[in-house]
Amino acid sequence: MFDFISKFKSDKNRKKLKDKNFEFLFQEDRSGEFVVIDTETTGLNPKEDEILSIGAVKIKDNKILTSQTFEVFLKNSKEINSNSIKIHRIRPFDLKDAKTTKEGIVEFLNFVGSRPLVGYYLEFDVSMINKYTKEMLGITLPNKMIEVSEIYFDKTISLIPQGNIDLRFDTILKKCGIPNMGAHNAVNDAIMTAMIYLKLTKEK
Amino acid sequence: MSILDQRKLIESIHPFELLSPITLDNLMKKIDIAYYPKETLLVSKNLPSVAFYIIIKGSVKEIIDGEIYTLFNAGDSFDADALIYERANGDFIVEEDLICYEIKKEDFIDLMQDKNVKGFFLKDFVERHQHLKNYSSQSELTPFLISRVCDIFLHNACIVDEKESIKSALKKQKKLKTNVIIVKYRDDFGIVTDTDLRERVLLGGIDIEDEIHKIATHNLITIDKNDFLFNALLLMTQKGIKRVVVKEDEKIVGVLEQLDLLSYFANHSHLIAVQIDKAQKLDDLKALGGDFKNLIVSLRTKGVKVRYITKLLSSLNEKIYKKLFDMCVDESLQKDCALILMGSEGREEQTIKSDQDNALIIRDGVDEELFREPMMELNRQLLELGFPKCGGDVMVSNEFWRRSVASYKLLIDKWTYDMSDESVQNLSIFLDSKCVAGDDSLLKELRAHLHNNFYARDDVLAHIAKAILNFDTPLSIFSGFVIEKEHNNRLDLKKGGIFALVHGVRTLSLKHAIDATNTIERIKELNNMGVIDKTFATELIESFDTLSSIRLKAMLEAKNIEESNYINPKNLEKIDRDLLKDSFKIINKFKKFMSFHFHLNMVV
Repeated sequence: MFDFISKFKSDKNRKKLKDKNFEFLFQEDRSGEFVVIDTETTGLNPKEDEILSIGAVKIKDNKILTSQTFEVFLKNSKEINSNSIKIHRIRPFDLKDAKTTKEGIVEFLNFVGSRPLVGYYLEFDVSMINKYTKEMLGITLPNKMIEVSEIYFDKTISLIPQGNIDLRFDTILKKCGIPNMGAHNAVNDAIMTAMIYLKLTKEK
Repeated sequence: MSILDQRKLIESIHPFELLSPITLDNLMKKIDIAYYPKETLLVSKNLPSVAFYIIIKGSVKEIIDGEIYTLFNAGDSFDADALIYERANGDFIVEEDLICYEIKKEDFIDLMQDKNVKGFFLKDFVERHQHLKNYSSQSELTPFLISRVCDIFLHNACIVDEKESIKSALKKQKKLKTNVIIVKYRDDFGIVTDTDLRERVLLGGIDIEDEIHKIATHNLITIDKNDFLFNALLLMTQKGIKRVVVKEDEKIVGVLEQLDLLSYFANHSHLIAVQIDKAQKLDDLKALGGDFKNLIVSLRTKGVKVRYITKLLSSLNEKIYKKLFDMCVDESLQKDCALILMGSEGREEQTIKSDQDNALIIRDGVDEELFREPMMELNRQLLELGFPKCGGDVMVSNEFWRRSVASYKLLIDKWTYDMSDESVQNLSIFLDSKCVAGDDSLLKELRAHLHNNFYARDDVLAHIAKAILNFDTPLSIFSGFVIEKEHNNRLDLKKGGIFALVHGVRTLSLKHAIDATNTIERIKELNNMGVIDKTFATELIESFDTLSSIRLKAMLEAKNIEESNYINPKNLEKIDRDLLKDSFKIINKFKKFMSFHFHLNMVV
């Protein structure tokens, strides 16, 4: 039943695709890889805010393929809000070599293909990206999505059935024993998220 | 951990910092991060290695023959040998969930194109050890260690024939502006100093027209031009001389003056020695106490190997003993006894003042009572100078350690037959004896007796050797080292490593009738006799040096003697930690060697 609904939704989405060159997004994934993504944005409201950069890294089996990381900076229509600069440290100056949103999103879609996506509060990142894909291609990202905080929650709730589970990124990092390696940027966060994912799924 | 951060991390791991920026850039594009849960078998004899691993977090143990051989932690990398030689010695198993960088085998082999990197990974233990040590000493200033005799100003040598008259020799000396005259015999050299001229010509009444050989001293003390300056300093301190003649291929090339040497080093070791010689009373010696520690600190920061520091200190300490002996023992009695130092002092390995372990051997037929009072006095003065009391009362003030030659022989016989712990302990202390004052032949006689007694007595030797297995080498589970919770998470260097090495080497020396007492000299002798091969000997010496050096540092920082053997491996620099780990590996190898050599598994 559930399969049926999701297939129905997917088909509906696919019909809206304006550009035949992006059919590959709907093909069955046979690579056996996952892609962990993270975005840096001007704010937390998908309706108003824009993407500054996207970072992504592939996972295959127990390996994070840092040899094939993806990172892109996007040009924006608005001035960057000074409050958000403090968080993501992307200054207007850093975006002088940035790509147009269209180029950036196309590169991203090519990198990701139809592989399942992994992320921390992935819903937000995906809805940010969807904003662009809808406009450009008429579709939302059709990829399967895996939320690490959900896996973490499921694993932890069995240990402390009635407890409050702290789902903050830093807390999860710490609980999983993953080194917090400095700078806050999209690729960096994607790699750390990938480590969490491996730790949670491959641990015996 | 963007690409830049990763790059920094890789760069911080030796020898990757040697790579050119371009090579490193290319390498970064080939590195993946992998996760392995606990207990994963990464490499083994049947599972060939597919990658070079650099640990980000977690740890991996290497197990050989069922024993933990080594443990790798964050920042460590493994295993080049498995990749290069396509074989692994042991099993590499994940000990704690592992996150690591992986460089694929092909890429790693490519990396080997770089001469420096290749050199680092292909070298065997000893060379790698030296390499790491050199690397570590680059950060400190080490002119002291590397300067050689030929680096310093040498005075001309004024060489005259033995038949030449004193007068013409003096003229020649004046022309060359030298401090001494070297006299050439047919196949040897002698020396004439100002003292000789004063005492033999001016006071002794020899005519200045006489031939010079009449006033010359034989036995020229020389040093090779390429020898280390440090050894020249040592030579001067030991012999109490002010200059050494420098040779190159048996040819005299100049004279090294103490003054030049001292100004070159600007430290006080010789000055201390001179002051000890000049001391008239106890207070003069007491005033020197503080200089010792300063000397150690300054030598150490200059990068001098610990074995040279301890030798220098030992020769200074011997001077103090000799001085005190002269002060306490009447001249008529001095020839009828021998003052011996035992334990670490006897091995010339003590650094900061360790417990006094001393004894007196009295010539047969001489009244032992005559020595009671002088020895009590000697002991009192030593204590006053700050030589700590021996816990086991191994001191000349104790009647047990003040006996005649015959009585010592009986004691040795008793030690040989009665295998109590106490006997083994006393025997071990006595084996390291060194005579510092009095008649050395008394000790030699006892040593010969000792060697005769132990000739072909492997059963007894095995019993003595067994003690090396009393303490485990602290290499295993936690952070690579076994640390003691009750000692603030530290490990005991003495029990864990130094004791096994020193005691094992001592036992082997007893078996092979080696007279040397210094551990390094004993190892060299054992190598000369073919008991251990050259590589192993070098490994043992390097390990001993590393352990002593880390211990010396701990001693300088420790507040009291009990604390001084403990170190916390986490406080060491990575290079020292690696060296320490390697050294413990060698200690384990040595223990296995000893077990095999003496069949220790069969000794109860």
